[in-house]
Amino acid sequence: MKRSLFGRFWPNATAVVLFVGFVFPVYWMFATAFKPTGDIISETPVWFPTDATLEHFKKAVDADHFWTLVVNSVTVTVLSVVFSLVIALFAAFALARLRFKGRRGLIVTFMLAQMAPWEVMIIAIYLIVRDNDMLNSLVPLTVFYTMMVLPLTLLTLRGYVAAVPKELEESAMVDGCTRTQAFVKVIFPLLAPGLMATSLFGFVTAWNEFPLVLILNKDIEKQTLPLWLSQFQTAFGDDWGATMAASSLFALPILILFIFLQRKAVSGLTDGAVKG
Amino acid sequence: MKRKLAAAIVIAGMMVSVSACGGDDGDDSGKNAGPDGFKGQTLTVWAMDGSTPDQWVKDVTAAFEKKTGAKLKFETQKWDGIQQKITTALSESNPPDVLEVGNTQTPAYAATGGLADLSDLKKEIGADWTPSVSQSSVYDGKQYGAPWYFANRVVVYNKKIWAKAGLKDTPKTRDEFFKDLETIGKKTDAEPIYLPGQNWYFFDGLTIGQGADLVKKDGDKYVSNLGDPKVSKAMEIYKKYASYSKAPKDKDEATPQQAEVFAKGKTGAFIGMGWEAGTAVKANKAIEKDLGYFTIPGQTADKPEGVFLGGSNLAVAQGSKKQALAKEFLKIALSDQYEGELAKLNGVIPNKQALESNLKGNAVAEAAAPGAAVGGTTPLIPEWGAVENNPNPIKSYMTAVLNGKSPADAAKQVEGEINKRLAQQN
Amino acid sequence: MSVQTEGTDTAGEPAVRKARVPAPPRGDSRTTGAPSRRAAAAPYLLLLPALLATAVLLGWPLVKNGLLSFQNLNPRQLIQHLTEWNGVDNYQEVLSGGDFWRVVERSVVFTAVNVVLIMVFGTLIGLLLARLGARMRLLLMIGLVLAWAMPVIAATTVYQWLFAQRFGVVNWALDKLGWHSMADHNWLQTQFSTFAVIILLLVWQSIPFVAINLYAATTTIPRELYEAASLDGAGAWKGFTSVTLPFLRPFLYATTFLEVIWIFKAFPQIFAMNEGGPDHLTETLPIYAYVEGVGNQHFGVGAAISFLTILVLLVITSYYLRMVLKQEEDEL
Repeated sequence: MKRSLFGRFWPNATAVVLFVGFVFPVYWMFATAFKPTGDIISETPVWFPTDATLEHFKKAVDADHFWTLVVNSVTVTVLSVVFSLVIALFAAFALARLRFKGRRGLIVTFMLAQMAPWEVMIIAIYLIVRDNDMLNSLVPLTVFYTMMVLPLTLLTLRGYVAAVPKELEESAMVDGCTRTQAFVKVIFPLLAPGLMATSLFGFVTAWNEFPLVLILNKDIEKQTLPLWLSQFQTAFGDDWGATMAASSLFALPILILFIFLQRKAVSGLTDGAVKG
Repeated sequence: MKRKLAAAIVIAGMMVSVSACGGDDGDDSGKNAGPDGFKGQTLTVWAMDGSTPDQWVKDVTAAFEKKTGAKLKFETQKWDGIQQKITTALSESNPPDVLEVGNTQTPAYAATGGLADLSDLKKEIGADWTPSVSQSSVYDGKQYGAPWYFANRVVVYNKKIWAKAGLKDTPKTRDEFFKDLETIGKKTDAEPIYLPGQNWYFFDGLTIGQGADLVKKDGDKYVSNLGDPKVSKAMEIYKKYASYSKAPKDKDEATPQQAEVFAKGKTGAFIGMGWEAGTAVKANKAIEKDLGYFTIPGQTADKPEGVFLGGSNLAVAQGSKKQALAKEFLKIALSDQYEGELAKLNGVIPNKQALESNLKGNAVAEAAAPGAAVGGTTPLIPEWGAVENNPNPIKSYMTAVLNGKSPADAAKQVEGEINKRLAQQN
Repeated sequence: MSVQTEGTDTAGEPAVRKARVPAPPRGDSRTTGAPSRRAAAAPYLLLLPALLATAVLLGWPLVKNGLLSFQNLNPRQLIQHLTEWNGVDNYQEVLSGGDFWRVVERSVVFTAVNVVLIMVFGTLIGLLLARLGARMRLLLMIGLVLAWAMPVIAATTVYQWLFAQRFGVVNWALDKLGWHSMADHNWLQTQFSTFAVIILLLVWQSIPFVAINLYAATTTIPRELYEAASLDGAGAWKGFTSVTLPFLRPFLYATTFLEVIWIFKAFPQIFAMNEGGPDHLTETLPIYAYVEGVGNQHFGVGAAISFLTILVLLVITSYYLRMVLKQEEDEL
């Protein structure tokens, strides 16, 4: 107790410094987006957008097909996250709970799959998609994004499944449930927070993906938001206001999702574990 | 939480069905027969950023749709990454039907077999195309593109800033120009000129002015000639220009758009295409009245600086299923009426001399014309296309020199890369 | 993703332990009858979708990429859909030049520097989180989560703006701090400073994942272990090395593995920052493969580099993968 005053000061001070360091780039993005151009291009930085303007946001949203791109991005992202969660859940259950031949090899297979460097395979993927006449479509995007996030989703979920005490499931089976019923009634509810937490990774990956959509979909009506964002940089050059407004709009859904899901996921996990 | 997840799945399911319906905007090939049977078809044209003024697009579209009954769709392309985009697009089953291809890149694309042979069209409408500009589209004796327009760089300057610096006249020689820039630097708080380190087509013009070649023959293949003292001399001139600018040494004129920097009214001049003035006005209406143009001055007053004759050809994709319709479009777009209109609106040099009267009274074109007479291009060989792929080694060379390397050392540094690209098989 | 559980089964297993410790023994509820044939097939059926997806969506591109690496594939072949086999020419071209090995070396050093920074600072911040009071912890958590959640492309754009030569806030701050030569500094001019910006970006983006998960893992360390340790007369440092560290070790292994993969594969951050420049000097393997293959339209060579990139990554991570294989043996 004696050391508390001194012992508290340094950790707290460090925490504040770190907080500023981590938040500043995010803050600067939003601040720049709201500042009038004169304040952005100024010899001394304007730290706070006192006369905030929405002009940059207007410019960003005014881009051709903006709302089509939003719909495409949301569609592709949500679908690939849901698909990967469903596929991964089955597999994770098998890997965490069942004993069978080849289990080890499979786990390593998925770890290897996690290592796939997608950006360097895009010509191969492009040729496959082209030769199957699937260019300018959201379908290949969705399935490849599903695959990009599947391995990590699967391996993470496997941890969550393993974390649900076996005894719970067994007692349910003693009570007359089949294994499937036990899974649906006992394990799945405990897994829900884990599923949400895992989905974050998928959301971020699919939402951000850029090289593949660039080469596969030349038709602007089938493109996604990362292309829109990148066009800002080249088209508007040093118009940092519009670029930052676009970045803010692009980041916002993910920021909200994170703050929302992250807390739920943490508390959900601890609750579930304690109750078990 | 479970309910939310369920809801998400339902939404996802709906989206599946929606996206399953999309994507069947298949082309309508096969239906056409004869020049007037184009109804219901859509012709896609890729034009580069800045090439097509709105008024021209409107007029050509109206004429095209009236004549053929088909629809016309212009898609504006960005220069960044365009080579890869065109390559992959030409390989697809639904390529753009007509595309604008830069004259330096046309031989390379002609050699890939991705462009349709337009020799017939040339016979029909191309008798009076200016031979020197039509030449970039000829490969293996066949015509793979129709010359569309040409342009060369001029100096765009801010009259207000020049007046503030007490300059009454535009310079007639390079040394006068340098002196003027120095005066602006001293007497005003403006940046005398905005010249980023990688405005490579301006540099190409300087090498043309020095009579230098960027490649030379070594046996039966081409190799880099950057080490040539004439090239070094051109680079020294560039460096002198750049010394009056605070622009980044490792960026080209498009990042940021130099015209937009200029539009802020704090830059004395920039070296660019005439249409870039339009970009500046779009960014800041107030700049319009201060705009002025003059020919890039050369060593002596009687011969202007060498310039790169940038130009664009219109080509038809070999894979397009609407060859006949595409040719109809070319006939309309390249007709005297619309070719003349483009020249007038954009201040670019048309593809035949008879139409050059359209440039009368156009300040940009009048500044550009003397330069065009002594202009040149990049080597017109198919191998050249690869050299300009990003990251362009010549741009690296320029940045290296501006950062203090001697031109000879910088040339040595990038020569391997250039030779590798020149040797790339097609 | 609050607790990382890939990798060894013990890795990231704190949640399991926590669950297992309080769980009362349930006597002989372990009733597993003789597995029927259907039950024996069950795991394979459950795994089928995942395996199919992997085989088709990953295996196919990999095989295709492998085939392309033995072809002469340039715009002409791509446009005309030609297949021209050229044996091992592409590999010869890549391996005979000095570039490839320089890029490999650079990628390895780049990955090592980043991962060490991320793991050291991530761990320290994670431990700090555990020490803070509730309010300060929430504050720092918010900061971390915001940085973590920033989409890569947006974050890269923001860093370009922070470090912009003109009007960039970093140059301004350095100038004000007395380092006047930095007033108009171009961060992307040299290899070293370009890498500095990229590393700062990557470390900033990656620390939150390590820190938050490590903190979550420490909360599951049973108090009794510390009490036992302090009964033995262990001080704070001893408690850390004898209880905390061993408990977190599997977690640290698994996280390091993931970070190695992520950093090694990092693409948009490096490419968008300066396209591998100046002069190709910040090209890591994925960037190199992309620039040579797609940028230079030399697709066969690009495929060969991709294939070699995958091999290098396998070698780097082989130690960890072997460990996993061993541990999975005595499990379940």
